Amino acid sequence: MLKKTDAANIPVELIGSSPVRPDGVPKVTGMAQYGADYALPGMLWGKVLRSPHAHARVASIDTSRAQALPGVKAVMTAADMPDQDFTYQGPERVQVNFWHMTRSVMAREKVLFAGHPVAAVAATTEAIAREALGLIEVKYEVLPHVIDVDQAMQGDAPLLFEDMITRGNEQAKPSNVSRLKTFQAGDLEAGFAKADEIVELSFKTEPVHQGYIEPHAALARWGADGQSEVWSSSQGHFVVRAFTAQLLGLNVSDVVVHPAEIGGGFGGKTLVYLEPLALTLSKLTGYPVKMVMTREEVFEATGPTSGSSMTVKMGVTRDGTIVAADGTFKLQAGAFPGSPVLNAAMCAFSVYEIENARAVAYDVVSNRPKAVAYRAPGSPIAAFAVESVVDELARRIGMDPIDLRLKNAVGPGSSTIWGPKHAHGGYRETLEALKNHPAYQQPLGPNQGRGVASGFWFNGGGESAATIHVAEDGSIALATGSMDVGGSRASMALMAAETLGVPYASVRSTVSDTASIGYNHVTGGSRVTYATGMAVVQACQKVIDDLRSRAAMIWDIDVDHVVWDDGAAKPVSAEVGDFAPLTLKEIAAKRAVTGGPIVAEVAINAGGQAPGFSSQFCDVEVDPETGAVKVLRYVAAQDVGRAIHRRYVEGQIEGGVAQGIGWALNETYIYNDKGHLENAGFLDYRVPVASDLPMIEALIVEVANPNHPFGVKGVGEVNIVPVMAAMANAIRDATDVRLTALPMSPPAVLAALEDSGANARMNEAVSA
Amino acid sequence: MPESVFEPGQGVVKVTLAGAFEPLTTEPQTFDLAVSNVRGVLRELDARVPGLAALLEEESAVAIDGVIHEIIYTQPLAPGTEVYFIPRLESG
Repeated sequence: MLKKTDAANIPVELIGSSPVRPDGVPKVTGMAQYGADYALPGMLWGKVLRSPHAHARVASIDTSRAQALPGVKAVMTAADMPDQDFTYQGPERVQVNFWHMTRSVMAREKVLFAGHPVAAVAATTEAIAREALGLIEVKYEVLPHVIDVDQAMQGDAPLLFEDMITRGNEQAKPSNVSRLKTFQAGDLEAGFAKADEIVELSFKTEPVHQGYIEPHAALARWGADGQSEVWSSSQGHFVVRAFTAQLLGLNVSDVVVHPAEIGGGFGGKTLVYLEPLALTLSKLTGYPVKMVMTREEVFEATGPTSGSSMTVKMGVTRDGTIVAADGTFKLQAGAFPGSPVLNAAMCAFSVYEIENARAVAYDVVSNRPKAVAYRAPGSPIAAFAVESVVDELARRIGMDPIDLRLKNAVGPGSSTIWGPKHAHGGYRETLEALKNHPAYQQPLGPNQGRGVASGFWFNGGGESAATIHVAEDGSIALATGSMDVGGSRASMALMAAETLGVPYASVRSTVSDTASIGYNHVTGGSRVTYATGMAVVQACQKVIDDLRSRAAMIWDIDVDHVVWDDGAAKPVSAEVGDFAPLTLKEIAAKRAVTGGPIVAEVAINAGGQAPGFSSQFCDVEVDPETGAVKVLRYVAAQDVGRAIHRRYVEGQIEGGVAQGIGWALNETYIYNDKGHLENAGFLDYRVPVASDLPMIEALIVEVANPNHPFGVKGVGEVNIVPVMAAMANAIRDATDVRLTALPMSPPAVLAALEDSGANARMNEAVSA
Repeated sequence: MPESVFEPGQGVVKVTLAGAFEPLTTEPQTFDLAVSNVRGVLRELDARVPGLAALLEEESAVAIDGVIHEIIYTQPLAPGTEVYFIPRLESG
């Protein structure tokens, strides 16, 4: 049962501070164990043979020559894993179509993208495994392929699944459109009829990779007794367990997954790629098998988020009221259905109170890796289009872009196109924080521009478990099953220490394996500080109740006469008796005689999460000679509910903005006419480096969520949502040219400037 | 499951399927239901559209007076509450 709290007014000592992170020293000293760092005696190396074709039928696979190579212990194909029914299966909240997933992990009838796994080898060394891949003979019947989302929707496009009927348009003939869904409120025609100004623009965005530094890695050991173990870095080892068990036909509890330290995920490590293959190879050989992707494999076969094609039309009256909005969002799902297009459609207009609005969502397959979640999946893509159009509306009516947003800002009770009314505030406060920032009024120089944009993200709740053990010396062992991707061990320790009234340093915060704690859903959706934090606080409260009972036992008084205050049990009043406070340490020392171990575990399915809002502005300077965009300043205001570890919160905001700047300015996949990726490495797929980035100023806005004991909403994702639009709007401000495609790389910007003649005008401005 | 979960409700809540949940529903629908918790809503909807409860459990989240929750049977619903089933969200 959800309990409302007066979270905004709860006095705290530790919450909001920035103590040393538990994982800091191991990471900076190289002692942290990432996925690729694990090894077992007798371990073999696994390597994957990948398709050279973007689309082809697999006619035959001959592994005999590879099998015969000395040092090779096994060669597997999809035939070594059970096929799956075409149904959505699994525990309720992780239901997926395993028919698709098993084919994504290893191709069966067809390969659907260049890099698609077709076989795998286990050998005594990496070199032998690599050599064996070249001895596997695969005969393909090459088929036409399609990469672009608009081309994939054409009537004559090659079909990835010849029998796929669009869900939501069942009358249509088979196509690459797997889903069509419309969200609508009000009367669009009547709304646009009221508008004084209407802007309609079309947009294209490229898929971008999550760009985590650590490649995927897995070590698996098949047990002769059927008890298997996996070590891998992921955003959710319970989901790795569920997916791996289902794909291999195992009992879920017969697989134990140990969480490795993770070197970045950003949504991209919520699936399995290597784990089922490594475990199958281990089963075939009887030895542990380790598999580590190369960077090239990461780019060719994992992630990215969707590319898109979008059209957005919005109307505004002279007084700044947005009266109508209409958007069509077509998102690439990659080789298998399931882009985040519903998120995109639902988030698109969610910061605005618009009476008449519609969002139409298309989920489209094409010959590239299956799209995977990336930081507020779908929302940044839609925001690039919507916030660009809003910027044009502000220009048309001569209104400050923050004022236009304030005039139409949602708050509690505002309607949405997806049904319910907003229940939480926070958006308006981010806009006010931005507008009050002194730099917002600072003048700009030649060829410089300022852009504003906002974003919405739902944030998450869901299933989490936490355990608190009080040791005999009064120190606290805190365990959860939530992978620490962005600092959750520190924030969990802070919430536990605050609740128990003990020093932060006395709490040892860890992440347990799947056999040692209850189910935790993935670390994603900005859910962990909220949901797992709620479980931690409730576990601490159970421990406090236990400690009060033990103090009552020691004092021979009723437990109702004992309160917990400042880390100690105290009599509720002097009338109860003259007892000196019993600290947690003192009670723990009497653990045995008062009943044994002091332990509490809480497992919850947390609801009541509150959405995140972010509003941002940036200043850029555009070089008319090269088209290069330099980011001069970036200010990001975000409502986080309440910051638990302040420095980590700032880091999340800075990280989201940095990734968004890369998405905006440089990141893109370059496919040749054969559907091969030509820039599968960080030299050619250009993520921003420190010298590309300005000082990113994080403005933490705290409008508490009353459903969380400390007011948490979530912080990890909404910060990336406005970035691409803010950058486009700043470039528009600097150049008078509206860019509608990402990335806004120097060649793209220069071409747009030359096409419009803007660069000549800008050169004159520099000369003057 | 405690028996009390299946108790009929004391008041009417307004339940909306926001958009279609294909293939069982093809357009938004609203129901006034006398229930006291989410399990009651699912039971009543399933009686009207067989199979809908399982589909909603698999594919939707629920907004109760605007606050989004995972679907949990025991979530209480006061009389006059607005309940929306919305598509389940993907997280990153």
